[in-house]
Amino acid sequence: MDAIIQLIHVSKWHDRKAALSDVTLEIEKGEFVLLMGSSGAGKSTLLRMLIGEEQPDEGQIFVHGRNVTKLRPTEVPYLRRKVGAVFQDFRLLPKKSVFDNVALPLIVQGASEKDIRRKVTEALRAVDVDHKKDQLPNSLSTGEQQRVCIARAIVNGPVVLLADEPTGNLDPERTREIMELFKLINARGTTVVVATHDPHVLNQVNRRVITLVQGVLLSERRIGQGVGV
Amino acid sequence: MRKPFYLVREAWANMRTNRTTTIVAVLTTAFALACVGIFLLLYVNLRNAAGSLQEDVKVMVYLEDRFPRERVQELERKLKIDRMVAEVLFISKEQALGEFRVQFPSESHLLEGLGENPLPASFVVTLAPNFRSPDAMKGWVERVQTMEGVAKVDYNQEWLSLLAELIGYIELAAIGVGILLSAAAVTIIGNTIRLALLARREEIEILRSIGATRTFIRIPYFLEGAVLGVCGSALSLGILKFAFELFRQQIQLTGRFSGIEGMISFFPFSVCLALVMAGMGLGFAGSVVSLLRVGEGRT
Repeated sequence: MDAIIQLIHVSKWHDRKAALSDVTLEIEKGEFVLLMGSSGAGKSTLLRMLIGEEQPDEGQIFVHGRNVTKLRPTEVPYLRRKVGAVFQDFRLLPKKSVFDNVALPLIVQGASEKDIRRKVTEALRAVDVDHKKDQLPNSLSTGEQQRVCIARAIVNGPVVLLADEPTGNLDPERTREIMELFKLINARGTTVVVATHDPHVLNQVNRRVITLVQGVLLSERRIGQGVGV
Repeated sequence: MRKPFYLVREAWANMRTNRTTTIVAVLTTAFALACVGIFLLLYVNLRNAAGSLQEDVKVMVYLEDRFPRERVQELERKLKIDRMVAEVLFISKEQALGEFRVQFPSESHLLEGLGENPLPASFVVTLAPNFRSPDAMKGWVERVQTMEGVAKVDYNQEWLSLLAELIGYIELAAIGVGILLSAAAVTIIGNTIRLALLARREEIEILRSIGATRTFIRIPYFLEGAVLGVCGSALSLGILKFAFELFRQQIQLTGRFSGIEGMISFFPFSVCLALVMAGMGLGFAGSVVSLLRVGEGRT
């Protein structure tokens, strides 16, 4: 199988403290990976590096065949169009309707009106909020807002979907629904990486788990396959 | 089609969200540009006035009383072949006396008592259009003054020099005030854009995270700056036009400076358009300054 994400001896320091320390890992195309670790373990730093928001102090990062550490600033937006991102705080534009929020990545790319209408409708249907497309995000429940955020992340068919604590603001039932949604997206061929500190998520996803502790890759395992480094 | 529409809508939304700061920015920009416009209007009108006055300027070359008739004709020929001269008209002593009597009928008795006609013969010289500048005229007059038979050469030298000097000062003031107030306009618009940027920082972060390019993020703010500049300059032209018409009306009503109202004019359409474009440029510059200062639009 092909590696769609590759980290080679990646280190990053924040204020002389190691956020990531000599991390080397590969994520294959079509994989579903859980990135586990407590707060401050380096999960968000790792995800931010994958979309070029931060650069490592050492090491190389490859995403979809591109060396992220060598990208020119003008090339970074084009990387982000291939990598969908879901955030704990949803990051939806409060004054735009659900439809307009989801349409944003397509507008940015200069998609045609017809394409926007079709793809946004499909994405909203996939996350089951198409009936709320004209509403403003603040009028939705937190679970629905997260679904809209996911719809926005998948609307332009990214090769990788990154989710940073996507269930942090959700109750157990909504958490289960969102994780089911990620599994569905993964089943359609998108590589999914979910960063979480919530151990309950583990029970819902029988996939590869990467654990970070204080910036160090502690273990890599598949549920039921034992522990390895 | 959706993309340009989105960008224009965002710029409009920015202005609507920060309505008060937008209005204040337009008004202060208009006021600043109107101040520049006053100097510019004064400068343009004085230049036009100076131009038309210089066209009317005639140089009087007075001749010595005992200068022989045939030498007068020789001098006339000399003047006529001078490349700086457009027209030469001879006024004899008798013609000068006749004109004096026509122009000042009540004072004509003063000359009667003198017996002999005291008025000198003269040439009325109109210089060629290319040589009507104060410096060129001064040089020509100095040359003619040394010619044989010429008693005195007279023209409104002081008045013209003074006008040229005044125009020079106004030009300098217009440039100085223009630079100062243009910088003020850039700062005002820049601050408005900066406020908009700070208010929408989160939104910009979201746009960046979904793959928006720096240009895409910046365009609404450039548009906003340009629109503020255009509105400010258009409003300043409106204020100036209003003040100009009021001034002209006052002149007509009071009757003072009569004749001036026909000489003064407002900016032609091309200059108005250029001023609006300049306003747009200032607004755009304001956006660039604030985007650079806030450092937004980084990828």
